[in-house]
Amino acid sequence: MAAPVNPVDIQPRQVANKSKKKALIDALRMTLDVQSPAVRRNTQTFNRNRYTAVARIADYDAMKDRARRTKENAIANLPALLQQLEASVLANGGHFFLAKTAADANNYIRDVLVRHEVKLVVKGKSITSEETRLNHALEAVGITVAESDLAEFILQVADEQPSHIIAPALHYSRERITALFKRKFQTDLPLDTGEELTRFAREILRQQFIGADAGISGANLIAADSGTLMLVESEGNIRMTTTLPPVHIAIAGIEKVVPSRSDFRSFIELLPASATGQPLTSYVSILRPPLPAPPFAAPGKTVKPREFHMVLIDNGRSTMREDPVLHEALYCIRCSACLNVCANFETVGGHAFGGETYSGGIGGAWEAGTGKLMNARFSELCTGCSRCIPQCPIRIDIPWLNQNLRQRMNQADGASVQKSLFGSLTGSAPQDRVAPLQKQFFANYHKFGKWGTDFASLANSSSHAPGVRKLMEDVLGVDHRRELPAFPAKTWEQLFREEPAASKAAAIEPGIVMLADTFTNYGTPERGMASVRALRAIGVDVVLTPSIPDGRAAMSQGMIDTARQQARAMAAMLRPYLDSGRKIVVVEPSVLAMLRFDNKHLLDDEATVAELAANSVEPLQALWDIATEAHIDLAELFPASKSRFGTRLFYHAHCQQRTCNAASQTIDLLRAVGFDVVTSSVECCGMAGSFGYKHDYYELSMAVGADLFEQVRAAEDDTGPRVLVASGISCHEQLMAGMGRTVLHPAEVLVSTLKM
Amino acid sequence: MSIAMATAVVTQPAVEQFEAAAKAAVATVEIIERSPAALRDAILRKAGDADRILFAPPQDLPAELFADFARDPRVRAEPTAEELVNSPAGVTEAFAAVARTGSVCVDVGYQRTGMASLLAPLHIAVVAAETIVPQPRDLFREDVLGGKGLVRNFVFITGPSATADMGPLVRGVHGPHRLHIIVLR
Repeated sequence: MAAPVNPVDIQPRQVANKSKKKALIDALRMTLDVQSPAVRRNTQTFNRNRYTAVARIADYDAMKDRARRTKENAIANLPALLQQLEASVLANGGHFFLAKTAADANNYIRDVLVRHEVKLVVKGKSITSEETRLNHALEAVGITVAESDLAEFILQVADEQPSHIIAPALHYSRERITALFKRKFQTDLPLDTGEELTRFAREILRQQFIGADAGISGANLIAADSGTLMLVESEGNIRMTTTLPPVHIAIAGIEKVVPSRSDFRSFIELLPASATGQPLTSYVSILRPPLPAPPFAAPGKTVKPREFHMVLIDNGRSTMREDPVLHEALYCIRCSACLNVCANFETVGGHAFGGETYSGGIGGAWEAGTGKLMNARFSELCTGCSRCIPQCPIRIDIPWLNQNLRQRMNQADGASVQKSLFGSLTGSAPQDRVAPLQKQFFANYHKFGKWGTDFASLANSSSHAPGVRKLMEDVLGVDHRRELPAFPAKTWEQLFREEPAASKAAAIEPGIVMLADTFTNYGTPERGMASVRALRAIGVDVVLTPSIPDGRAAMSQGMIDTARQQARAMAAMLRPYLDSGRKIVVVEPSVLAMLRFDNKHLLDDEATVAELAANSVEPLQALWDIATEAHIDLAELFPASKSRFGTRLFYHAHCQQRTCNAASQTIDLLRAVGFDVVTSSVECCGMAGSFGYKHDYYELSMAVGADLFEQVRAAEDDTGPRVLVASGISCHEQLMAGMGRTVLHPAEVLVSTLKM
Repeated sequence: MSIAMATAVVTQPAVEQFEAAAKAAVATVEIIERSPAALRDAILRKAGDADRILFAPPQDLPAELFADFARDPRVRAEPTAEELVNSPAGVTEAFAAVARTGSVCVDVGYQRTGMASLLAPLHIAVVAAETIVPQPRDLFREDVLGGKGLVRNFVFITGPSATADMGPLVRGVHGPHRLHIIVLR
C-alpha cells in the first residue's frame, strides 16, 4: 500500500473536484491540518457580525419576504426579463450576449478583447468567471489577467480555487500570505503585517489599473428595466475596474436579473448585513453602463469612448430553473450567511466543503447545476442541522436541497443485491434500496433499536465482542473510536407503562401527548421519563404514543421516499391526539424540527402540516406555558437549591432546537427556578445525528466539537465545575465523548429537585 | 405629504444619527455653516499640507459655495492625468447621505466626480443636511430627492476602503484611505 500523502502536501486544486470520495477525504485532511484556524476565525467573525447587523434592520423579516418574492417572480419570468434587459443594454449603447455555456462566454469575451488588441485586463471579483475558468481562456491567447480583489490576487498567486463565495481566500492566515508572497515574489520588502501586505499588492495593482485596456467585473444584481448593475465591495477595486479602463465587460449568471432598479431596495441592506455583517460595505456602486468616456488613457493610448459588454451565462441555469427542487438555488444572492453559520464549514472551509467554484451548504446545488451531479459529493458535509435556514435572507431551505442531491447521488451510485436485501430487511422504501449500506443503516436506526433493546444484554455485549467494531467500520462505516450508545434494558414505552401516574388526579385538561421518538425510546429513555415526571409534577395528564420513526433519520440520508412513508405514518398516528386537543410534546429536538418545518416537504396535506407545526412543543416550553396559564409557581415546585446535582449548569441547546426558537425558554425556565446557567454559543456540537459516527467524518466531527468543549472548559476555569446539560441526544453523546462526563437533559435536572 | 417633502425638513436627530453612523464606519465628520468661507476653511483644514487638491465641481450644490475654496492655488479642477492619479486629496459633493449607515452617495457618472472620490488617499465629500435620507433603500424611490437614485450612476460610500483579505482588517486599499464628510447645515 502506498504511504498516505502528508496533508500539507495536498494541493487544493488537486482535490477541488470531489466526484471521487477520496478527494473529499483528502481535502478534509488537508483543510483540518492547514486551513482550519484561519477559516474558523474568519467565518465566525462574519457569523457574529451578521447576527448584530440583521438585528439592526427594523423590518428584517418583512424585508426577507420581499426579497424572496422578488426573486421568485424574477426567476419565474426570467425569459421575458432577459429580453427586456437586452433591449435596455442596447438602448444604453452597450452590447449584450447571452452565453449558453461557459465556453461560449469565454469565447465571446476573448474575441472582444482580441478585437481591441487588449494586452492587460483587470478583473474585479467574479465567482461566475471562476465557474467559466475565464482566466485560463484569456491567458491561452496571451492576455495578462490581473485579479484586483486582494483575495483573488492571493488565489491567482497561489493557483488555488476560491474557498468561500464572498471571501475567496479566507482560508489564508496573514502568516501564510506572507510566506506565499515571499516565495512567489522573491522580495526583501517587509511583508509581516496586514498593512504591509496590502501596500505591496496595491502598488502592483495600481499600475495595472492605470495601464489596463479593459476591465471585467461581475454583478450582484442586474435590473432589466434599465440595465443597471449593483456591485458590492469594500476595496475600491471594482470601482476602478468599472470606471478606469475604456472597455468594461460585466459577466454574471442569468439568475442575477431582477425587474427594476427600484427592486434593489429589497437587497441593498439585506446583502451586506447577511454577508460581512456590515450595514453597508465601503462601496455599493449603482451603474448603468456604458459610463462616459474615462478622463485619461493608459500611457501611450488615446482616450476612447467607453465600450460596455454585458455577458450573461446560462451554463445549466435554465435546467436548474425547470428542476422542482434545485430551482431554489437560483434565488441565492451569494451572501454566504449559510457558510458562516455552518459548524462544519466554519471548521474546514470551502476547500473541503466545496467544489471547483462554489462552496458551503448552497454550493452543492450550484456545482451540480452548473456541472455534474457527482461534483456535489461534498454536500455530504451538510448535516441538516438547519442553522442556515433562518439565516438565509431569501429563506432557501438549503438542507432540503442537499437531501435531494443525496437521494440523486444514491440513485446514481446504482443498485446492488446486497443493498437491496439490506434495504428490504431494514425497512427502506423500494426506491431507497439503492442507498449505500451505511445510509440505510442509519435511516433505519429504529429497527436496530428495536432489536437491540429486545435483546439488550446480548446486543450490548456483542458490540464489545472482538472484531464486531471492525466489522461495523468496514461494512457500515461506523467509526470504531465512537462509543456506541448502549441499548437500554427497557424502552421508554416499557418504563412509561410501569410507572403509574401520580395518585392525585391530573388537574389540567386536556393534557398532553408525548411523542415516543425512536431516539429517546431506544437510546435514552431516562430523558423521556424525566420529561414525563416533570410534566406530571405540575398536574398534567400525560400519555405516550407508540414509538414509530418520524422520517428524520431517513431524510438526512437522502432516503426521501422512506422519510415520506414514515412521516405519513407519523401524521396518521398523531391524528387522534390532535383531535382530542392534546399538544404534542417532543423530547428530541431533531424530531420537533420534523413536525415544525420539515414535514412540509414530505406530507401533501398542507392543513395537517400546519396543524402539526402549531401544536408541537419542546418539553420545557410545554412546562412553562402550562404552568404560566395555570398560575403554577415553577420555582416553588422545582427549587434549584434542592437539586442533587447542585445549581451550576452548562447548557448547550441543540441546533434544530434553536432553529425552532425552542431554546431560550429552556434557559429562562432553568434560571427562573434558581439554576446558574452558562450557555454555549456554538452553532452545532458536530455530532449531528449519525454524522459524527461515520468513519470518514469522525475527525471533522471532533474538530467541530472542540469549540464546544473549549467553551465548557472556559466556563469552568472561570467559575468552577458545572453539570453538563443538553437537550439533544446527539449533543449528549458528543459532550460525553469530549468531556468524559455524564450529560443530563434539562428535565432530568428539574426532576432532581423533586422529593421522590 | 410626499416623502420628498418629508425629507426636506431635516430633523436634528437625522444629522446626529448620520454623524454617529459615519464615525462608526471610520469616516470623520464636520458639520458647518453653509457659507463659501466656512466651506473653504473646513476643506483646507482637513487637506492639511496637501500640495494638490483634486476638485470635482458640483452639479447639485451651488457653485458659489465652492468659490472661495476653488481660488486656492492648490486646487485642480481640470487635472491632468498625472495629477488625477497622484494627488493626495480629492473633493466632491455628495448628492445624498444615509442616516442609518453613515453613507454618502456620489455621482460617478458626472465629469470627474468618480475619479476625485476614488483615486486620492483622502476623499472629502460635501453634503447638504437636507439630503440625508433615513435608509439606503430610500435612494430607490421616485419620491425621494427627485428620484436621482433611480437614474444616476452613483456609489454609496461608507467609510474608507478596507479589506480583511490580508488577515487583519486593513483600512486603505485601492480606494481612499480616509473619508472626511462635511455636512452643510
